[in-house]
Amino acid sequence: MKIFVSIDDTDNIESRGTGELASILADDVEKKGWGISSYITRHQLLVHPDVPYTSHNSSMCFSADVDERSLMPLISYAADFLEKESAEGSDPGLSVAVAERLKDPEALIEFGRRAKQVVLTQKDAYDLAQKLEIHLTPHGGTGHGVIGALAGIGLRLSGNDGRLKGGLKIGAENSIFSVSDICAHPHVDAVSSMEGYTLEPEERVRMGDKMKTVLMGGKSVLLVMPSGGEPGDVPWRTCPRQLLKIF
Amino acid sequence: MWFTNQRGEEEFTGGQDDWAGAARLASTCPYFNPDVEEEFVADDPVSCYNCRYRRWSTGSFTCLKKDKA
Ligand code: SF4
Repeated sequence: MKIFVSIDDTDNIESRGTGELASILADDVEKKGWGISSYITRHQLLVHPDVPYTSHNSSMCFSADVDERSLMPLISYAADFLEKESAEGSDPGLSVAVAERLKDPEALIEFGRRAKQVVLTQKDAYDLAQKLEIHLTPHGGTGHGVIGALAGIGLRLSGNDGRLKGGLKIGAENSIFSVSDICAHPHVDAVSSMEGYTLEPEERVRMGDKMKTVLMGGKSVLLVMPSGGEPGDVPWRTCPRQLLKIF
Repeated sequence: MWFTNQRGEEEFTGGQDDWAGAARLASTCPYFNPDVEEEFVADDPVSCYNCRYRRWSTGSFTCLKKDKA
């Protein structure tokens, strides 16, 4: 069965990031033989003077295909892991949802969207988690990370929020690849323009440095833009990182 | 480079899209320390926007090393 695991507020200004903890957790799911983990997405939450956060107000989420019997050991392991590995002064939260048991996915997606726009409380998060029967627990400090952890699953589920953790390396900078070759990479599902045009398999793209994919339409998408029309150039190039900030 | 916001904190005047200004400032800052990869937003690796000590505000960022920088 498919599950979503999301963590938030595990770091402080000097520590390793929440993304690294999510990566270790995703790897451990596989090492322990519980299932197969997917890529990790980073979801930006509201930046507001009334929203406390220790380092970055972003949560990290991954999905995994696991055996039903692995669910409880996995949750218990993730909880212990956060308690041991989170940074001093952080307020970690953990959420785990089983996709097929989600009673009202739209309510969860809406919670994620609201966490980007308005100040939510821990009570809001616990109330919704209880109603939807989603695992949601605090693991240190004020436990404020439960809000982001729950929102992270909603945003991942929306299929249209967040950047994938980790850089993407396909050939050297300025090398040219066809869309079909790019999509052969295990972490790229499609190549699209910012305006939503999905490139055809035979179209060609000039690679940039430090590329990243974003979550769009439930897929890991490499975003491209017109290359500028220099004679002899291919029509598309990958978007610079700064254009991905909005995801 | 900095202005005082309503909460009395100093914020970067360039907001969140002054890529050249944020790179210039970081290039001469002795405290620049790269953030974790997933929090990088600027293409220039050395930029306040990619620094561990910037804290995003609604329209810009404050710097945790500002008093020292
Ligand atoms: S310490 Fe502050 S001023 Fe220096 S690079 Fe980092 S954010 Fe910029």
